[in-house]
Amino acid sequence: MVILMAMEDELLESLKKKPVTLRFPYERARPEDRMQAKVTWEIEKCIGCNLCVKVCPSNAIKLIGRGRKAEIRYHVGRCLFCGECVDVCPTKAIQTTKEFELAFTKPEEMILEFRR
Amino acid sequence: MVKAIDIPFGPQHPALEEPINFTFEVEEERVVDVKIRLGYIHRGIEKLAENRTYHQNVYLVERICGICSFAHTTCYTQAVEELLGVDIPERAKYIRTIFCEMERIQNHYLWLGFTAKAMGFETLFMYTWRDREAMLEVLEMISGKRVNYGMNTIGGVRRDITGKMVERMEERLNYLEERANYYKKVCTKERSILKRTVGVGMLEPSDALNLCAVGPTLRASGIPQDVRADEPYAAYGEIPFRVVTYDGCDVASRILVRIDEIIESVKMIRRALDGMPQGPIRVKVPKNVPKGEAVSLVEAPRGEDLHYLRSDGSDRPARLKVRAPTLANLPSLRKMLKGVNIADIPIVIAGIDPCLACMERVILVDTKSKKGQAWSGEELWRYANEWYRES
Amino acid sequence: MVQRELMAILEVFFFPGFLFLFSLAFFIEWFDRKLVAKFQNRYGPLYVGPKGILQPIADFLKLLSKEDITPAMADKVPFALIPLLMLTFSMTPLFCIPITGSSALISFEGDLIVVMFIMTLTALLSFLGAWVSTNRFSTIGGVRTGLQMFGYEVPLNIVMIGPAIGAGSLSISGIVEWQSRGVWFIMTQILGFAVFSLCLLAHLQRVPFDIPEAETEIVAGWLVEFSGKKLALIRLAKNFELVLAASLMVSLYLGGPTGTLLPNPLTFLIKLVFCTFILSNLRALFARYRIDQFLAAAWKYLIPLALLQISLVEVSLW
Repeated sequence: MVILMAMEDELLESLKKKPVTLRFPYERARPEDRMQAKVTWEIEKCIGCNLCVKVCPSNAIKLIGRGRKAEIRYHVGRCLFCGECVDVCPTKAIQTTKEFELAFTKPEEMILEFRR
Repeated sequence: MVKAIDIPFGPQHPALEEPINFTFEVEEERVVDVKIRLGYIHRGIEKLAENRTYHQNVYLVERICGICSFAHTTCYTQAVEELLGVDIPERAKYIRTIFCEMERIQNHYLWLGFTAKAMGFETLFMYTWRDREAMLEVLEMISGKRVNYGMNTIGGVRRDITGKMVERMEERLNYLEERANYYKKVCTKERSILKRTVGVGMLEPSDALNLCAVGPTLRASGIPQDVRADEPYAAYGEIPFRVVTYDGCDVASRILVRIDEIIESVKMIRRALDGMPQGPIRVKVPKNVPKGEAVSLVEAPRGEDLHYLRSDGSDRPARLKVRAPTLANLPSLRKMLKGVNIADIPIVIAGIDPCLACMERVILVDTKSKKGQAWSGEELWRYANEWYRES
Repeated sequence: MVQRELMAILEVFFFPGFLFLFSLAFFIEWFDRKLVAKFQNRYGPLYVGPKGILQPIADFLKLLSKEDITPAMADKVPFALIPLLMLTFSMTPLFCIPITGSSALISFEGDLIVVMFIMTLTALLSFLGAWVSTNRFSTIGGVRTGLQMFGYEVPLNIVMIGPAIGAGSLSISGIVEWQSRGVWFIMTQILGFAVFSLCLLAHLQRVPFDIPEAETEIVAGWLVEFSGKKLALIRLAKNFELVLAASLMVSLYLGGPTGTLLPNPLTFLIKLVFCTFILSNLRALFARYRIDQFLAAAWKYLIPLALLQISLVEVSLW
């Protein structure tokens, strides 16, 4: 059977509903528990093993110095938020945060440094 | 008789999500001939893959396509696992299957909206994308991401599905199934949709086979070909399912095939969740991959996806070749476009679910003789390295 | 004497003249956008003014400030004139619509014919606009506008005559006057009302008949080369056309500003909003038709139905 206006019922029903879209800057969805965004280092825990640098698929992490004196340079703009570095870290020095609004006005701001 | 005029369509056009150029030779309102030109968004991923380790490449391969990212990683990891000779745990296989099907559901919802937009049905577009959100939420809940999940890894998957998540999944799956049935009703009954889709963009079964169409495009021409059934990978061998076919050969059948696949996928996920064994989800794998070649096939939402991998024994692939489903569908798209109305062009193009960045190819053309030339692997390697050295 | 002239000037410039019509046009655009958004389960305009009611004005001002490009190959003078003419032509008929009482600002025997004529002219103007902008997409859009006109113009004009025959008057005010005695034409000519709404959708180039400016097919159709101020004026003209369409529905079939206990302009507004609701609802409900399908449907169904309606009216009078 072919009918015209097959969706009219749905249309009239949605007049009663609240819009599903969020008014983004003012309303936010609750982030999921497993959400991964920007990562941070607890630099005191870092032993400079270089594992996170090797595992990073987009070369977003650089180690400056060696061993326990090493410092981390983290390119947020390159990061894919895959969380491999978090998984690989032997001392759990790396944590993910739920901070995802990572727009910057200057390229230098996109490089974060974790110093001792 | 009106002289044929050329109408350029793309690379920038509201009906196209990604840049591709069609030149339509049009007589009155009919398309007589089509020229397709690719190469606007070639990203050199295959070359890039040669400079990264197998493990890093998982994330690179994931970014070949935003929508069928899981199909690509599954395909790639399968190839690597074949070379390594590892068997991944049963539970990981089931999780891969579930993810493949969830990805199919969200892709088909997205596609339905895109097609609705192509035929000017804005409301259907908004509704399908609203409902797709239910699937994306589940994907985000399990993997932490909405599109590039980062779930697959060589030797298994990275995250597990817990009992609490299964409850929420069941609820969302019921909703998605109900909505898919509703859209099926709308798409088979609404007169204005039928007017635009029935008998448009015909692809006869013989042509579909000859031109090597894949995926829903092929199945809408009545040919039951599906990698999941023909060469089961992951846990597909253990989950019974129906290969959806329709024999209308037109855009309407392509819509119905995809809606039915949504319904079928929901059932498959339920079965997989019921039959999922306990156990580990990944195994440790060595860094270096033994010398050899492997080909892996996966049924991506858009059709058959092929990855070829050659290893020289190091920790980086010697060659990775990707044949995304859209490339296989382009010759049949050209066939479908011949003879359609100008007004039907967007909907026919939308019908194959084009994903252009995934399949982009480059051809080197001599500008004087206007001939393309085939390059051997060695020549390419030399060219690439010399070019890098010069600049 | 002076007072009367002052009143006339006030009527022309403020109420129910220019100022009122401009605000009405913006209001109707806002209402249409908001309603379609609501149908589609989203918010629509939200931030400019309460509930986004000033959004159309903001959009209009924004477009005015944008760069205005004239294509090198375009026919310069007509290209610049067409937006102005569009605006004038879509506004003029509104002065023939009775808003405050049963008689309009401009009212004479036969103004219905003038309104029909001007409505046809606006369609022709969009064809001309497409032609002078010399773009491939706009040319296709222009040809489609012309073809579409052949489809809807005939049934539209036939059904518009229906109420005129019923009321025995060729002036809109006369028709409203006749209906103010109690019987609205929608009760006796429901078929005509349906055909009229569909034809108006085609005239307004809205989904499902937005064939001439089908975005996914031919980018923006005949509008493709217009930008900046010209586009702003054309969009405003389109709003006026929407107001005109809705108010013609009100005047010809729903008894105009009369018939309820509320003050006349308020009654008119309520009915206008109701008619816009119908048009917006239809807009959210269909996929776009193809031009050949539209023409076939128009000649196969709309015209016979319109003729049937007219003969029914004739028979009932006789």
